[in-house]
Amino acid sequence: MNRIINKYIQEQKEYILKEWVERMKEKSDERVLKVVSNQVFVSTSREFVEMVSSNLNDTNDEYSERLHDFAEKVVKLGWPLSFVTEGIQVFASLVFEGIKEEKLVSKEDEMKLFYGIDRWTNPMTNEVVNIYSTTWERTVSLQKIALQELSAPLIPVFDGISVMPLIGAIDTERAKQIMENLLNGVVKHRSEVVLIDITGVPVVDTMVAHHIIQAADAVRLVGARCMLVGIRPEIAQTIVNLGIDLNQIITKNTLKKGMEAALELMNKKIIQVGEKS
Amino acid sequence: MRIPILKLYDCLLVSIQWELDDQTALQFQEDLLHKIHEIGASGVVIDITSIDFIDSFIAKVLGDVISMSKLMGAKVVITGIQPAVAITLIELGISLNDVMTSLDLEKGLEKLQQELGE
Amino acid sequence: MENQSCVNIQTEWDIVAARQLGRNVAKELGFGIVDQARITTAISELARNIFIYANKGRVCIEKIYDKGHAGLRIVAIDNGPGINDIRLAMEDGYSTSGGLGAGLPGVKRLMDEFDIVSSKGKGTEIVATKWIR
Repeated sequence: MNRIINKYIQEQKEYILKEWVERMKEKSDERVLKVVSNQVFVSTSREFVEMVSSNLNDTNDEYSERLHDFAEKVVKLGWPLSFVTEGIQVFASLVFEGIKEEKLVSKEDEMKLFYGIDRWTNPMTNEVVNIYSTTWERTVSLQKIALQELSAPLIPVFDGISVMPLIGAIDTERAKQIMENLLNGVVKHRSEVVLIDITGVPVVDTMVAHHIIQAADAVRLVGARCMLVGIRPEIAQTIVNLGIDLNQIITKNTLKKGMEAALELMNKKIIQVGEKS
Repeated sequence: MRIPILKLYDCLLVSIQWELDDQTALQFQEDLLHKIHEIGASGVVIDITSIDFIDSFIAKVLGDVISMSKLMGAKVVITGIQPAVAITLIELGISLNDVMTSLDLEKGLEKLQQELGE
Repeated sequence: MENQSCVNIQTEWDIVAARQLGRNVAKELGFGIVDQARITTAISELARNIFIYANKGRVCIEKIYDKGHAGLRIVAIDNGPGINDIRLAMEDGYSTSGGLGAGLPGVKRLMDEFDIVSSKGKGTEIVATKWIR
């Protein structure tokens, strides 16, 4: 059966390619056609058809290597996964219909033909989906690392006073990271007061508040004090409306006010030493 | 093995240098209370810089010894709690709320002097 | 199995042995200092539970791998009296032994995955897993 399929594809390659491009153009949405120029589309399509048909010739190793390279190329081109799987299906049905029309197999063998094609295209679809998903997973994990690197640094400002500005949404993962940075920083810089600035945190819900309270508790355990600054009116509102108790933590509305309070706690003061020129 | 308890004027100084097992912890509790009674200490500093984890049992022993010392009129400052230890304690749900803490032994002694001076 | 090692819990000293084993494995796998402390503490809690409530049992530390992630799994098994009300035992501050009542709910918070099976009179099995971030 494979021989019949193979022979048909080899003989009718040009026809299949033309048909395939036509059909896929009909199916593909604007998005694909916009990102892929016509020429690239045709040449990539040719490669696609070449590759799909090569399955029957190549040994397994060669094929999976080619499929791998091809899939990565497609990913780079930005072809959506649905488009590629659709392409394999269209190709399969083109071959099936073509062989049927040319009457290369008997009526009784049509079922066999169908299964033959299916057995050959199925692993192909699987492999493509596989490569797509690994590529996505890799992207996601890379972005995760990038996000971790964005995590908050602790900045020593004066002897014994440090500031940690928080920016962006806080999830559990990030909260843990922040807590570690905070405590390690406090111990490393020997800070006695640390100001957590949440001006850049868009939403403070119970979860975020819970993490902040935990962080403040942990800071107290290592022997320092924690102050929460940058509390905007809407955040004060949500905190009170949600019934979150932040009474154990000193809070200030701006970093400036917090810094003044911190200096006071440390019995320090900033004074002007001369007239401004 | 017993944890050594040093006397410094009217204060007691304890530095825990190795991993606490249950028996040592309980022995320490007893020894410290006796020593407070013996010299009439008014302050205790316990430095745990070298301890790299505290479970709920050790935390309970520490918390208890602090409350007991308070009853006997001695203030206790814990110093040198490591970040990893603080995080695990908080996640365990133990916040040691009434415990005084300091970054290191030096700052702990200062704090104790301040507290006792008031 | 090469990836698994166990400590039988019979005396208080075995609690120390179990957590030292756990710490070494965690270090070997490349966990950070904070995660090492989390794992050691969790093992200590579980081993102590066995010692207090069941008198004897076993704590196993296992290296596991899944989809390119490495992790550490703690399995704590005993044939003790079992836990009467698991929901209650998982509540903060609940203790039948005069402890802080932070053990089981605390372990759940320290680890990434937590599973407990207990039947009265037959014993308890707790499986807790931590993945490398």
